Amino acid sequence: MELNFVHKPSGHCENGVVSNLLRFYGVEMSEAMVFGLGSGLFFSHMPFYKMHGMAITSFRPLPGDIFSRVVKLLGIKMKRFKFRDKEKAMDKLDELLMKGFPVGMLVGVYHLPYFPKEYRFHFNAHNICVIGKEEDQYIVSDPVVVDKCRLSSNELKLVRFASGTYPPKGRMYYISDFKGIKPVNESMVRKAILKNCNRMLKIPLPMFGVEGIRYLAKRMRKWVSFFGEKKAALNLAQVIRMLEEIGTGGAGFRFMYAAFLQEASVMINEPRLNRLSAELTAIGDQWRDFSYNAARLFKKRDAEVATYDQLADKLMVIADREEKLFRELEKVIRDAR
Amino acid sequence: MKIKEVPQDGVILESSGVRDVCYAVDENGNYTQVISVGWEPKNDAINFAWEAINEESEQIKVKVIAGTLSPLAYHMHRLVMTPAILADYSGFSKREIKKFCEPETFSRLKYDDLHKLADALNISVEQLISAD
Repeated sequence: MELNFVHKPSGHCENGVVSNLLRFYGVEMSEAMVFGLGSGLFFSHMPFYKMHGMAITSFRPLPGDIFSRVVKLLGIKMKRFKFRDKEKAMDKLDELLMKGFPVGMLVGVYHLPYFPKEYRFHFNAHNICVIGKEEDQYIVSDPVVVDKCRLSSNELKLVRFASGTYPPKGRMYYISDFKGIKPVNESMVRKAILKNCNRMLKIPLPMFGVEGIRYLAKRMRKWVSFFGEKKAALNLAQVIRMLEEIGTGGAGFRFMYAAFLQEASVMINEPRLNRLSAELTAIGDQWRDFSYNAARLFKKRDAEVATYDQLADKLMVIADREEKLFRELEKVIRDAR
Repeated sequence: MKIKEVPQDGVILESSGVRDVCYAVDENGNYTQVISVGWEPKNDAINFAWEAINEESEQIKVKVIAGTLSPLAYHMHRLVMTPAILADYSGFSKREIKKFCEPETFSRLKYDDLHKLADALNISVEQLISAD
């Protein structure tokens, strides 16, 4: 049994699952639009929340947030589950599949057999969508893989109940009622952009949003005296992995949001968004420059590498530019009202 | 990022079906999706993390051969497991897993228990009891 589900790869797993799911129900929406409507651009650096013993740096909201924001805006109803019992989690999945629902779910990547072995870390916020079952094999649409994949029921059970930071606990979700769907309109786009501005500018804690970038910069300056040379380099490598590896976005997310602003500018007829999109592209390029220099630092490839202080300076510049951008964006959206 | 700047440094992803979908602008400044097989700084970061893990594993291996740690400690580190995570996957408690890292306790383990540990690590029992 396989549902008639079109699988398209995407830049980020959660957007990809949402965009593929919506297509199943006949709504064609680009990944960038899903990302924008989900107010998906974010930054956080959380030294108190660890993976592999090092601080988590993330460029997106909590897993599931993008999805729930999009369905709320569009007026679709969805149901979410979380399980204690592994068998119940699998039975419920089968039941929904047989009723004809594609089911999105959270999995850990450590045991995913189709991932390259270098990716086998305990990263537990990956999204996939199960779209069919043949005997003991589940047919899976994984947005970061070009084609559809297959997982045996034991493999699927293992990844759904992965262990480590933020265990997925069999979390899954599906669209239960599609009747109330509203087409994307101007007010939704405005609302989503304002929400994103708020998240980037107005969380009164130092670890989140634009302030979070500055917070990371501040801590980075102390890494060597704090952790020593080796551990500092590992921390930096962890930031770069989170910047560039699947799941957390980073520079790629800046470009994706820029693509969304471009789409939005046509949709709400606001040419100023196009200019801001170009600015965000330039900021994305700066993030890439940061990654490039950081990689040279921990590899010590050349005699002349940037120091942690210089990298932190780069982050401060990025933070200032992002702050300016979001303040302008907020103004543009509020003005037009 | 312009379309022609999208990196194609395939080292890690090439052999798998996983790809990075990137967003880049064409000559008119319009965004499109471009599929990439990876970027060097990212590959470097991943490899750097693995180098550190392998280095530490080798140090543990020396201790295993010297008889101060059990092979489990080596395999656990090599496979990026922690006592807490392995406890979850194997059904033992975290404390037991830590105990098993001592050679005396490890050598007294029954075959069934070794099997459980090996399964959770996704290796064979033969591998588990040797330090290779």
